[in-house]
Amino acid sequence: MVKAVLHNDSSVVQIKHFDDAELARLKQKPQFQYNSEPSGPSLWSRFWRWFWHLFDGVDAPRGIGMRWFFIFLKYLFISLGVAAIVFIILKLAGVDIRGLIKRKSADASIPFTETLENIHEIDFDLNIDQAIAQHNYRLAVRLLYLRCLKQLSDAQLINWQIDKTNAAYVNELTNPNQREAFAVLTRQFEFVWYGEFAINSQGFQNIKTLFSNFKQTLA
Amino acid sequence: MEEEIFEQRTDLSKLSQAVELMKTAIGQIVVGQQETVELLIAGILADGHLLIEGVPGVAKTLTAKLISRAIDAQYSRIQFTPDLMPSDVIGTAVFNPKTTEFEFKQGPVFGNIILIDEVNRAPAKTQAALFEVMEERQVTVDGTRYPLQEPFVILATQNPVEQEGTYRLPEAQLDRFLFKIEVKYPTLEDEIAILTRQHQHKTADQLNDIEPVLSAQDIISIRKQVRELYVEPKILEFVAKIVHESRNSKSLYLGASPRASLAIINGAKALAAMKGRDFVTPEDVIWITPAVLRHRIMLTPDKEMEGVTPDEVVAQIIQKIEIPR
Repeated sequence: MVKAVLHNDSSVVQIKHFDDAELARLKQKPQFQYNSEPSGPSLWSRFWRWFWHLFDGVDAPRGIGMRWFFIFLKYLFISLGVAAIVFIILKLAGVDIRGLIKRKSADASIPFTETLENIHEIDFDLNIDQAIAQHNYRLAVRLLYLRCLKQLSDAQLINWQIDKTNAAYVNELTNPNQREAFAVLTRQFEFVWYGEFAINSQGFQNIKTLFSNFKQTLA
Repeated sequence: MEEEIFEQRTDLSKLSQAVELMKTAIGQIVVGQQETVELLIAGILADGHLLIEGVPGVAKTLTAKLISRAIDAQYSRIQFTPDLMPSDVIGTAVFNPKTTEFEFKQGPVFGNIILIDEVNRAPAKTQAALFEVMEERQVTVDGTRYPLQEPFVILATQNPVEQEGTYRLPEAQLDRFLFKIEVKYPTLEDEIAILTRQHQHKTADQLNDIEPVLSAQDIISIRKQVRELYVEPKILEFVAKIVHESRNSKSLYLGASPRASLAIINGAKALAAMKGRDFVTPEDVIWITPAVLRHRIMLTPDKEMEGVTPDEVVAQIIQKIEIPR
């Protein structure tokens, strides 16, 4: 049989006390102010509350028209805000925003000002006369051809575009006689301008007559 | 009227006649494919190698064979396979027991017109063997240089890369092809004509009737004529602008090289000659440019995913540039 032996705890107990000064210091901290009243909204929050309240029409004039106006303004601001966020995201993603908004169609008209040489601004009569005076018949034929293109464009028989070839303009003409005549003129121009074929005064006169005859068919 | 004013400076009658004969001969067997045939002839006259791409069964090889038959020159054919070695193409040194020396045995690449069927089925090692052949027109084996004879034309056919068991050709090799000619499916009318001819057994009979219309010597002299055609400086500028724009296009990861500019000019000259002109027009340039650029440019990954084709990008580039006139 085992006997239990009880020993008295004779160790010295050291009583510790809270540091009153520390407690007082901690009580001063806002984190421990449990009894304090909840603070009101911040200035920023109060501004937005006031702003949206304004659009709710509570403080606005009572007229029906003004009320709708403020509702419209509210949604306008929301839309602008969303658009600004989308814009920032697209910009950060490196997306070409202009390309998304503006898709240029294949047949979109190109302003004449973009062309290297605007056929609608050339003084053809003056330039042709000057070229003839200088015996530069090659340039004169070129100017005759450009003037012919201008005449066709003015008559709305062709749609002048910088990327269109001569053959494209020929095919654009619906009248078979005009198309045939213009095809001949185009061929003459190509021989002189692209082929750099030598042309004299007589040859130039022949070509000029062809151009004059063609002009009469446009009238 | 124009005959009275302008006299032809260059006699292109033989060339025009030969081109018409070739077209007629090929047209008797191959239905449609006029653009393919025009580009093939233009490519040969412009002294270039040609890559013909199309799905199986669109008469790529047949058209190339007919072109080679229409030219009286040494023709050889190599069927590219995945296990083909460079020595199978260019040749190899073989030991001769009688002379106790190694002798170079020429490969099938030694010829005038070389038809490489399914070029993209061979691995990069064999493709690399063609680099020197295509550009420098010579073969170097064991330190000895073997020049190839003129005219030397490679007509290579390939299936699109999407097809199983093919490799994409290296960019350096693609750049050595003057044109990439895309053979499309025939139209409904052409398909009916193909069936009718086949049904009447016309094709097989006529295949052996193709007579050569040009000799190797003719090709050499015509090429010389083509090289001398006139190109207006504004047209040179037009070509340079197209190629330059390809390097700045946002749709392209890789633009065209200066070799492409030269290829456009040479191709346009050949096309002009085929039309009986001794000068180049912007239309020649515009017509030939897609065939020159489509294999030399690389689309950006996003454009590729959008399904944009190189031809569409080339068209957009040309559209931006003013036609010289």
